[in-house]
Parts: sequence; C-alpha cells; structure tokens
Amino acid sequence: MAAIELNGVTKRFEDDGGVLDTLVPSSNTDAVTAVDDLSFSVEAGEVFGFLGPNGAGKSTTINMLLDFVRPTSGSIRVLGHDAQAESVAVRRRTGVLPEGYDVYDRLTGREHVEFAIESKEAGDDPDELLSRVGLDADAADRRAGGYSKGMKQRLALAMALAGSPDLLILDEPSSGLDPAGAREMRDIVREEADRGATVFFSSHVLGQVEAVCDRVGILREGELIAEDSIEGLRDRAEAEAILRLDVDGDADLDAVRAVEGVSSVESRDGKLVVGCTDDAKARVVVTIESDGATVADFETESASLEDIFLAHTEAEKQEVPA
Amino acid sequence: MTLESVARKDFRDAIRSRWLLGLTLFFTLLIGGSAALFFGYLLRGDGANSESLFGFTSTLQQLFSVFGFSYTGMIGFILALIALVTAHGALIDERESGTLKLLLSQPNSRRDVVFGKLLGRSLVVSLSMLAGFVAAFVVMAVTGTQILFTPYLGQVALSGLLATSFVSIGIWLSASSDSQRQAFFGTIGIYFIFSVLWAAVSTGVPRLLNWALQELPGLDTLTTVQIFQMRLFIKYLNPLRAYETLSVQLYDSAIAARLFKTGLSERLALEPVFAESLPFYFSGEFIFLILLGWIVIPPMLGYWTFKRVDL
Repeated sequence: MAAIELNGVTKRFEDDGGVLDTLVPSSNTDAVTAVDDLSFSVEAGEVFGFLGPNGAGKSTTINMLLDFVRPTSGSIRVLGHDAQAESVAVRRRTGVLPEGYDVYDRLTGREHVEFAIESKEAGDDPDELLSRVGLDADAADRRAGGYSKGMKQRLALAMALAGSPDLLILDEPSSGLDPAGAREMRDIVREEADRGATVFFSSHVLGQVEAVCDRVGILREGELIAEDSIEGLRDRAEAEAILRLDVDGDADLDAVRAVEGVSSVESRDGKLVVGCTDDAKARVVVTIESDGATVADFETESASLEDIFLAHTEAEKQEVPA
Repeated sequence: MTLESVARKDFRDAIRSRWLLGLTLFFTLLIGGSAALFFGYLLRGDGANSESLFGFTSTLQQLFSVFGFSYTGMIGFILALIALVTAHGALIDERESGTLKLLLSQPNSRRDVVFGKLLGRSLVVSLSMLAGFVAAFVVMAVTGTQILFTPYLGQVALSGLLATSFVSIGIWLSASSDSQRQAFFGTIGIYFIFSVLWAAVSTGVPRLLNWALQELPGLDTLTTVQIFQMRLFIKYLNPLRAYETLSVQLYDSAIAARLFKTGLSERLALEPVFAESLPFYFSGEFIFLILLGWIVIPPMLGYWTFKRVDL
C-alpha cells in the first residue's frame, strides 16, 4: 500500500492585495505556481528522500500533505486518508517536523513533548524521547525559548517521534544541526525505518539523503524531474561523463545543448563544461567544430552523484556567456 | 480531547507569562478596591448595601448617571477592553511566530485550535474578573455591608458572559487577520465602534431610513415611537449595552431596565407603549440571547475564515 500518493497536484499562490483586491477585482494578480501537476507515491516502509534546491516547492508539497496549505487542484492521500478532508486522522498516525515553525517560548522542553504525547494519546515517556534526540534532563527542564536553533530542531523531532507514528514527515530535518547532529538525525531515521515506519524527508543537500534513502525524488521548480533509487541514480552518474573543453572561437551553446545525450552545459574558469553520456562525447566535439570553433584541448572525467543532482536541479539556470 | 489540551496549554501559557496574575491583581484592585473605597470610607455608616455601588438607582448612582455613567457600565467597558487585548493575538501571534505549525503538526483540527483558544482565553479573563468580585464580596462582608445575593451573583454571571463575548470577538479578529498589525488595528476599531461610535449608529440608522422613506413617493414616514424603538433596539445590539440593561433588570423592572439612560423625550414616548405591552424583542430573554449571540457567532465566523487559510 502507498503511504503517500499525489495525483496531479498543483498549487498556485495568488498574490492578492487583500481587501483592496476584493473591492476592485483586477486582472493582473500575480500568481506563483509553486507545485505543478505533481504525481508520485511513497510505499509503506520506504525511506523517501525529497530533494531539490531551495524554492523548488518541497515545503509547499509537505505543507499540502499536512493540510497547512490547500492544493489548487489534484488529490493527495496519506496513509489511505484524504489529506484535506481527513487531516486529523492523517496526523494521528504521522510524526511531523515542519518547516518554519517555532517553539513555545515559555513552555519547557518536557512540556512540549508531553503536549505531543497527550495529543497523540500515546503512552511514551517524555524523558526517553528527549534523550533519544540528545536533549538531557537539564535541557528538558528549561524553557524552550532559550534553546539554540539546533536544540529546537531536536525538540521538534522528539515531538514528531511521540506515539511511534506509522509515517514520519520531516522537512529539512538537518537544518540548524552541526554535522554530528545531522548524523544522529540520520541514525534516528534509520531506526524508525527499521521499526517499520515510512519516512518522507526533504533536503537540499544530497549527502544527507544518500546514506539513508531507499528512493529519492528530485523536485525542480515545482516539477518532479527524477524519481529513482540511489543505485539507479548512481548508475546514471557512472554512465555520465563530464567534458572540459578549451574552445577557440565562439561555440554555439544551444547547438551543444541540443545534442542527444547532453544534460548540462556551462562555462567554468574559461572552459566549457558539458555533462553528457559517454557515447555523446564525440558528438559534442563534432558539433562545436562544425560551427567554426576549434577544440584546443579537452579532458574527461566521470560524474559524481553530486554532479547529477546539480545537473538535474540547475540545468535550466545555467546561462553561458558566449 | 484535543480541544481541551489546546485550551489547557493556552491557559498554562497565560500563567507562565504572568498575564493571569496581572489581570487578577488588576481586577482585585479595581473592583475590590472601589468597594473598599465606597463601603469602607465614602458610604460608611450610611446604611449602604451592595446595590449602592453595583446597582443603578442609589443616590450615588443617580449622581453618576447625570454624567451618563454607571459603575457597572464602566466595569463593562474595562472588561471588554481587557478581553479584546487578551484575545486578539490568540491565533495570529501563533501563525506569525510559527508555533501554530507545531500545534497543527499534532492531531488537532483547526476547529480545536479556534475553540480551544476561545475556552482558554475566556477562562483567563473570567477567572481574574471573578477574583475582583470575590474581593469586593469580602470587603462588603468585612465592612458589614448588606449584600443582595441574587443580583450580585447575577451581575458576576453577566460580567462573565460579557467578558466571554469580547473574547469571542477578539478570537474572530485574530482568526480572520493576516497579520498582527491587522488584528491590532481591527481590535482598536471594534472597541471604538462599541464604546464610542454605537450611539451615532443607533441614532443615525433610523434617521437615514426615515429620510429615505420621505424621499420615496407613496410611503409613510416612521412615527416618533417607531424611530425611538428602532434606536433602542440597535442600542441593545451592542453587547456592552445589552450587559448594562440586563444588569439593571437584576434590580428593577424590565421596562425600567430598557429605558435606563434614555433621554426624556424618548422615555415619555416609549413608557406608555411599553407599559401596555413590552415587545418581545425588548424582553430580558431576548436581550440575553443577543449577548449569547455575541459569544457564539464571532468564533464561528472566525473559524469559517481560519479553516480556509494557507498557513
């Protein structure tokens, strides 16, 4: 059974001018499409990494899973429930680490976790949850208003873990954590997955996802541009080559981009850097030279997973000055 | 279950922030203090009873009413302001800071959040207000002042309802605002309307209607009695005025309570009409329903907006 299922989900944010717009409806309202016709599913028991650069629509998607934000069109089911109509039922079995949250300044860490346990009608021991995320008894008794960013993040994770949820939705769980903290976070994700929970978490850093995810989806500008296992992505990386070319004269970059097998073209340190499949290398050189420019020198290397991620997420932003 | 846990958490926060303590001290000083001033000093040995201060027809109150002022009415104005100040940030503060996301990450519905907040904040205002009335009670007992129990308890209950109605209005503003600024200015505006502008509204609307009827051919204009009745009805749509007239009714007849603080010409015109038969919409029960309406309807409107909003 799918734990999360999105079907043709679109979210447009209308930039309304408030009261004035209601009084005087104007035609030039600015709408921003944050998520565009997004469909994918996450299987029960899976650890799914939701990757993408900042502003790609990851948080909007997560907010729609939790009914913080309503989709403009499309349908979302989480744990078999409609994410809008039956949101409370969804959240009863889901642990959430949201984005853009804040803690209650005047409540202690323990009181936060107690509130989560009470809301979930669970029987967890708050101190046990707190120590699991690395907050000791001393911190638990302090008011959360004095916590550092990292401690708040740990506290929110402890709240998410209350009641051993079937599904964990974590939005950028490693933000605010130091490398050791990020590692502890990954360990907890792994433990939860071993317990049988489905984990859905977002990140803009590939390294955090690589180690723990069964599968990843890469989101760019509101669209899912890749959905694969880590191995699948790695295979793709291995099949991918990076060409660094010294070019004399002006290369027609659009022509290079149009070559079959080319995934990215950019100019770096005076060199032309082309990401392409192994068999496309010769075609790239031929295309550049057919245009009157000459390739003075070139080197080739195989791509890393990081390159693939960057190629996927930044391909359209790369503009090369000719 | 979760509505209560939202309310409990909200109430606990009011304890932590010392807001509950501050309000309790404030009302104790205000109500208990004024009781001490009057019964312990100004009215000492005058054979005064609780009505002398809390009622409307004592010599002292007659003096007040010359200035268009009653002690209970004043308590109402202050309660309303405190209730609005307490409630207007209930939801928008949490929305702006992001704690709302933590709250809604748990299995709480938005309905639980709106009505849980209403419950929590109503308790904060009502309990601190209650402390003030208890203090006044103690003062009267100590000074040997006769206490008219039934009207006094009635006044405490009505004050609790008034406080709750303005908490409701504050929750409505908080739920339907997009920013703290909006909620803040909305609160000021609402308070200004109810405390200052309402008299102009209740006078203006019948006049405007009458003027329209005059301009339209073939329609009769309103009679003086109709104009006065309409004006009086609009006046009691204001929860502050509903509270005041219901308080008067604890000590006096319904007719006297409805005509409390009306002008001479209005009184002369309406008194004989009311004496014949008091229309149902001027009965104590109906005015009481208006006050209850102010408790029930605003949070529903607030919830109606709040449930649609993208956080």
